[in-house]
Amino acid sequence: MTKADLMAFMPLIILAGGSVVVLLAGAVRPGGWLYELALAFVAAALVWTIALPATAAMPGLAVTPFSRFFAVFLDGTGLVALLLASGYNKRRGIVGEEYPATLLFALAGMGAACAASDLLMLFLGLEAFTFAFYILVAVERDSVRGGEAGLKYLLNGTLSAAILAMGIALVYCSRGTLKLAELALQAAPPEPLFLAGVCLVLVGLAFKLSWVPAHLWTPDVYQGAPAPVTALLSTASKGASVAALLLVLPLAAVWRGGHDILWGLALATLVCGNMAALVQSSIKRLLAWSSVAQMGYVALAFVALPAGGARAALFYIVAYAAAGLASFGAVAVLADGTDRDAIEQYRGLGYRNPLAGAALAVALFSLAGIPPAAGFMAKFAVFSAALRAGETALAVVGVLSALVAVFFYLRVVVALYMRPADGMEAAVRPLSISEGVALAIPTAAILFLGLYPSPLLDLLIRISR
Amino acid sequence: MSNHLLSLTTFLPILGVLLLLFIPKDSKGVLRGVALAVTVVTFLVSLPILTGFQTNAEFQFLENVPWIAAGPFVMRYNVGIDGISLWLVILTTFIMPLAVLSTWTAVEEKVKEYMICLLLLETGMLGAFISLDLFLFYIFWEVMLIPMYFIIGIWGGKNKIYAAVKFFIYTMVGSLLMLVALIFLYFKGLDAGFSNFGLLQFFDLRLDPATQTWLFLAFALAFAIKVPMFPLHTWLPDAHTEAPTAGSVILAAILLKMGTYGYVRFALPLFPDAAHRFTPLIATLAVIGIIYAALVAMVQEDVKKLVAYSSVAHLGFVMLGVFAFNTQGITGGMLQMLNHGVSTGALFLIVGFIYERRHTRLITDFGGLSKQMPIFATIFMIVTLSSIGLPGTNGFVGEFLILLGSFESSLRWWAVVASSGVILSAVYMLWMFQRVMFGELDNPKNQTLSDLNAREIAIMLPLLALIFIMGVYPNPFIEKMDPAVQKLVAQTKPLGMSARQMPAMQMQGLPAGHPAIPGMAVPAVEQATPAVADPNEVK
Repeated sequence: MTKADLMAFMPLIILAGGSVVVLLAGAVRPGGWLYELALAFVAAALVWTIALPATAAMPGLAVTPFSRFFAVFLDGTGLVALLLASGYNKRRGIVGEEYPATLLFALAGMGAACAASDLLMLFLGLEAFTFAFYILVAVERDSVRGGEAGLKYLLNGTLSAAILAMGIALVYCSRGTLKLAELALQAAPPEPLFLAGVCLVLVGLAFKLSWVPAHLWTPDVYQGAPAPVTALLSTASKGASVAALLLVLPLAAVWRGGHDILWGLALATLVCGNMAALVQSSIKRLLAWSSVAQMGYVALAFVALPAGGARAALFYIVAYAAAGLASFGAVAVLADGTDRDAIEQYRGLGYRNPLAGAALAVALFSLAGIPPAAGFMAKFAVFSAALRAGETALAVVGVLSALVAVFFYLRVVVALYMRPADGMEAAVRPLSISEGVALAIPTAAILFLGLYPSPLLDLLIRISR
Repeated sequence: MSNHLLSLTTFLPILGVLLLLFIPKDSKGVLRGVALAVTVVTFLVSLPILTGFQTNAEFQFLENVPWIAAGPFVMRYNVGIDGISLWLVILTTFIMPLAVLSTWTAVEEKVKEYMICLLLLETGMLGAFISLDLFLFYIFWEVMLIPMYFIIGIWGGKNKIYAAVKFFIYTMVGSLLMLVALIFLYFKGLDAGFSNFGLLQFFDLRLDPATQTWLFLAFALAFAIKVPMFPLHTWLPDAHTEAPTAGSVILAAILLKMGTYGYVRFALPLFPDAAHRFTPLIATLAVIGIIYAALVAMVQEDVKKLVAYSSVAHLGFVMLGVFAFNTQGITGGMLQMLNHGVSTGALFLIVGFIYERRHTRLITDFGGLSKQMPIFATIFMIVTLSSIGLPGTNGFVGEFLILLGSFESSLRWWAVVASSGVILSAVYMLWMFQRVMFGELDNPKNQTLSDLNAREIAIMLPLLALIFIMGVYPNPFIEKMDPAVQKLVAQTKPLGMSARQMPAMQMQGLPAGHPAIPGMAVPAVEQATPAVADPNEVK
């Protein structure tokens, strides 16, 4: 490993090393400035990635424009999630160094997954961040829901890890290599063993992306986990999984069946996610089902891969991440140490806490795909890619399910602004600076990407080439 | 013409929003004052557009700068107006100050948010009228939705949430299908060598009939919901009844025009052949709308609902005129859009005045108000007559031209049936007026009512002036829009025109050298208004 390689891999090293440093710092000075320390590490990794446009390769890992894009995306979401968590955890009595340290470790794992150049490293990266989330989901030890969520996520996660590992083993059996570039180049007609392996890898990733029918863990886990954890789980981990899928999909490029499987997943996810979200009464469950549905649009983009679907999927995941951070962040702020979860309990909160209310409303409009929010541009990109690829039927299903989605997103907006508040709690806690920033960043990103998506789209064209 | 007048007009309200954000929410007077000032300044800024507008068929005040360029998609900030959109822009900037004034005292809660919504709405509406880029239009078209949804849902009446959600969902159904059609159309354009979403180039794209049919249906559905056309009108009475006065005024005066404007600017010139094929269907729905809405209006007990249904009937007339595909019909339709904006806007303001005093809109709660409120009675009478279309008021010119145009076109029998709608409108409006204003002043609560105050009279005066100006001297309005209407008539001539449609088409669309088919139409036009005959002479 040369010095240049070291410089290129420095962001990953900062995150992984930072995780250890935070753990040690917590042991030496419990209750010190741990969140601030963790923030500094993430910010350092972020700045380093942006400032030093290096590419490098070492066995299993490669820093490319693609991985650097994802590093910036993941560190950005990590930054917002940390800002959210610092105040939230204090109020909920989640103390200790394990939260920020684990979060840094998760970011390092995701970064590795996006930079993977062979299947083994991909597996390690994916499981590293999933492992971190097992801890984060159940970090609130006294909460009944948190424990249940942690167990469900663990069982589902280990199952998907096993499937993924089996798939990778089968691919290795049939082709004798794990390097992604070599596997994609081997134009040999795909034999059943290889295809079985690729399918298992797809199924494993479908778990991570909560595509129907591998989505069942999503609502329980999203509801049970602390809201800042859900914010990160529903955005960064989805982003990393999309990156992983984009790395793996060239393996199945010559096989028509891959398209058909994705087609079925997209259809099931779009319909099931949107329909299930209609009948939810808990805001976190509604957002969870909505995130399932949103992943359906990502699947739709993957179906249209030859017609610029990769770009659409990437834009979609960025727009979704901004909306996910803003919505779960607003829920974290509005719940405010209580177990406020029913949509009914959010009545009139838009006036009591204007910034959080506005962030939630903007995020919901974005998720519903209404201009000028980024979600509209994202849906536009996905639908146009689908139409371009000739997937008219699926695109129409997508449009119709987007219509259904408008209805349940509006329910929350109605509660926030149009129903009178209960008038019970008079005192409103002013937002701390960290929460204000954590809500303002994704909200501003939603509006900016909705009004002026050109820079991001240009960037995506360059990296997805 | 390369100045930024259109952008300035469109985005001034946004600057106003930014200003409002920094005003504390408890200083309601300041908030109202700033919002009013912003809308008035916007109106004043829009006046040079009117004076600087050259009377020709070209798009003017053009601005065209890159906006989004990504892969195959190139969207540009491409705006401009012609004689058709000119008047709608002016109508919008003109109505907005009145709308702000109308809820000066009625909206006491969340004044800041209310004014912000109104100003955002103004930007959305103006933007939709000036867009010459399909994608930009779609963005503005959708942007209007959110503030209006909040205006109905937050400051509305008892059933506000139902009405707001219904309004939103109905509009989204049409919009999303239009979006798919838009993308599809763009790919067709790419195949033909276009490189962006610029609207004007798509007019020359003659698509094959099957494609035209599907795309027309998608666009027409979106616009038909907005118009609203029977049977897609059911959201309108709810939205109108629940919305606060300003919301109803804007909804009636401007938002509904989005639908008819959409037909005139997009659906007809983009897909002329399909539009002709569906003319009988759309004309039938328009006529059913006219008659049905008039009958339903007759039995309404709520004044506001009655006015809402009268809106449906009026817009049925507009659709009939537009689908006559000749100069008189389209000119009449355009004029009726403006008329409807003025007189129905005024009617909703009037309903707002009495509702603010009595907190009821039931006709049976009133009676004999003219004794107590003489100024109000006079104004109400004038507006009622204008809505009916009495000669001398604005309503007459528009309705007359529409009936004339459709009678001359293939829609003769539709026009005959529709004329009965004129009588029906007189019946329900006058009957309502009689029950509210005349008779015994027997309800004790009505005996203490105060007449209109200075603010309310000030709101109504400009509208009353317009009612008479447009009724007696509609020439300036028609002249400015005429070249654009002529161009539209020429654009929408179908390629495979059937012989039956020929005479009506030829009269206006073809060059002067063409042997005009002799018929009773030409003298009739000249008698109607000199203004309509003018363009023929120019040609």
